[in-house]
Parts: sequence; structure tokens; C-alpha cells
Amino acid sequence: MMTLKTCDKKRSASGVALQRFAAFLAEYAALLYGCGATSIRIEKNAARMARAFGINFYIFIMPAHVSVTVWDDDESDAAVAARRTAACGISFNLNARLSRLSWVVADQCLSLEDAAERFEKIKQTKPTGKWEVLVLTSIANASFCHLFGGDGVAMIIVFISTLVGYRLKQIMLEDGRDVRLTFLCASFFSASLSAAGHIFNIGGTPEIALGTSVLYLIPGIPYLNSVSDVIYRHYLCALSRFFEAAILTACLSAGLCAGMLILGLKTF
Amino acid sequence: MLSDIVINILEDGLFAALAAIGFSSISNTPRRAYLICALLAAAGHSLRYVLMLPDGAVMHIIPASALSAFAIGMLAVLLAPRIKCPPEVCFFPALLPMIPGMYAYRTIQYLLTTLCHTGEEAFQHYFYLFVYNGLTSTFIISGMVVGATLPVFLFKKLSFTATC
Repeated sequence: MMTLKTCDKKRSASGVALQRFAAFLAEYAALLYGCGATSIRIEKNAARMARAFGINFYIFIMPAHVSVTVWDDDESDAAVAARRTAACGISFNLNARLSRLSWVVADQCLSLEDAAERFEKIKQTKPTGKWEVLVLTSIANASFCHLFGGDGVAMIIVFISTLVGYRLKQIMLEDGRDVRLTFLCASFFSASLSAAGHIFNIGGTPEIALGTSVLYLIPGIPYLNSVSDVIYRHYLCALSRFFEAAILTACLSAGLCAGMLILGLKTF
Repeated sequence: MLSDIVINILEDGLFAALAAIGFSSISNTPRRAYLICALLAAAGHSLRYVLMLPDGAVMHIIPASALSAFAIGMLAVLLAPRIKCPPEVCFFPALLPMIPGMYAYRTIQYLLTTLCHTGEEAFQHYFYLFVYNGLTSTFIISGMVVGATLPVFLFKKLSFTATC
């Protein structure tokens, strides 16, 4: 196991060099925030790299932007850089690769240029294939239906409604539609399709099919991140992530209600 | 009777693993982490199932979720270094099948239903359901994150060097 260390060949930086360090660290932290890393992970990774670069470092993480201040040992020079948090969507693959980069910088004493080059390559990381995600999500939601007590017919209904709803979500997001509107439309479609069990009396657990058909839209990661940020006292980021998740939950709930109302279903 | 329980536990673990793989693919989890996510989700979800069994520990869903999340966190801290990923890359997707999605969206639905009723009795009934679902989902998620984060605190060095 490797341990955190400051590079032996201590690199002194000042003026323009400090500005470049600050810009790199701010960009790194902004991308890490955007891909759904917790605030403590962003702090630790960026501090690890700053230490390896031999500069003093302070980070200020806000929901919409990240600000990094770096200064040299004798405090004669300092630089500040701020970047907007990236809107790249949650990606644990990016999170893992960026975390690994911070260790490579610390252990191999990479120069800023090398680190920046590797960072650019990481930024090009492709997301998981859309058809793979579509099929896996549909299977996952059908399995979820079974965990809630749904029978085989309910699982098939949920699989189809998730397939259609998730595909609609992908199309709308690719088209640049608002994410809240997308959640509302996807949940409306999934709920309307899964209501078939109720309307045509198919299967023994139609209410479970209807209830679980929209669960693939629940923003689980932002909820988990918000509680993690509370634990590490990043209250503003926690609040922001919580509200973001709560608004998406409200949208999917509204879509479900609309689908049930239009089809004349009353489950409350 | 005992064989039925064992089959149910295995079934619960299998479907939780499938759910974890699918939901983690939405969050672009690295493919090398799928197997560990599935394993953690199966272990955690089936443990929660056992803890909540009416003939067993009869535990409430909140402490049962927290304990299961603790087990997931412990396994994640131990297994994440093998695939060179931070522990949260393994345990966050594994926690997804335990996210109280139904409680979360029913909170919003009952809030809307409360607003549609002006009669005191109906209003209080739906307000009670709104608060019940809201509190339950909040405490389940909080318990899960605290449970899963505890091992990260306990094994800080191992947790934050997992990617090296």
C-alpha cells in the first residue's frame, strides 16, 4: 500500500506557475464535483495533488462553482482560480479515474504538464453505452418489482414500461430538454404503461407493477451524497444536492399522479 | 420451513444484485466494479431481509437498513482496493436497491393529496401519511449513509488509499 508523501524534488512555484497550478486544481475539483463525488473526496484528492506539487492550498466548494487558492511557502505570492462545476452527469468511472490520477501525481511526482495531459485524457472518458444501460436498467427495475413482492407478469410489465420510459429519458436528454421536464414525461409514460395491469386485470399484483415502474428515476446518488456532505459539514453542498434530488422526485411523482389521473386510477 | 427461508434469502440477494448492476450502470460505474457492487448489494439486501423477518429479529426498516449498510461499507473498504476504486464507487451503487424510493415519492404524493382536502379529518390523515413517509425515507437514507460511512472512518487509511 502506498502512503501520501510530498515529492522529494520540491518544486517551488510563483507568479504565473502558481496561477497554472490553481487553474488545474480548480478544473479538477469542478469535474470531480460534476461527476458526483462527495465533497470530502474532492478535498482529499485536490489536497493530495497540491501537496505533491509542493504548494499550499485551500479549496472552497460551492454547489455552482469551485474556488481554489494556492500560495508559496514564504507567502510572497498567491493565486486564485474559480471554475463552474461541470454538468457532465454522475459518473463513478470518472470519479475512480480522477481519484487514481491524484495518487499517480502524489506517488510518481508528476509535473503539472504531465498531470494536465492525463487529466485531458480522463475528460474524454466515454459513458457506458446507452443500449447497455437501457437493458440493464430495465432488468434492474423488474428485479426491484420482484423484491417488492411483484409476480412474473408484474415484472414483465415493469420491464417494458422501464424500457420505454428510460428510452424517452435518453432521447429527451440527448435533445437537450430540461432534466425536470424529462423526469416528468418519463415517469408519466412508465406509469401509464404499467397501469395496463390494473386496467386489463393482468397478473395478481398490478399495484406493485404501477408503484415500482418509476423507481428507476429516483435520484439515489444525490440523496446519498447529500447525507455524506452533512456528515463532513459541507452543509451548503448537502442542501443543494438534497433539493436537486427532491425536485426530481417531485417531478417523477407528478408524472405518476398525472398518469393515474388520466387513466382514472385511484390508489390513495 | 427453514429451506423456504434460505431460498427466500438467496432469491432476495439475487434480485438485489441484478438491481444493483442495473442502477449502477445509470451512474456510469466502471465495469470492473459490477461484480463487487452486485456482491455487496446481495449481502446487504439479504441481511436486511433477515433482520426484518417477522419470525426473526423483527427489526424496524431504519436500523435494519443502517446495519446492512454498515456491512456493505465494511465489505467495500476491504474489496475496493482490489479493483483500485474508491470505496464509495462500490458501496453507493450497492446501496441503491435499499433507497426508499416508494417512501420518497409517496411523500410528495401525500403532500399534494393533503392540499386537495380541506376537511380537518381527511387533511390530518393525509398530513400524517405525508410526515410518516417523509420521516421514514429521510431516516432510512441517513442511517444507510452513516452505516456505510462508519467503516470509512474506522479504516481511514485504507479507504483513502484504495485507488493507489
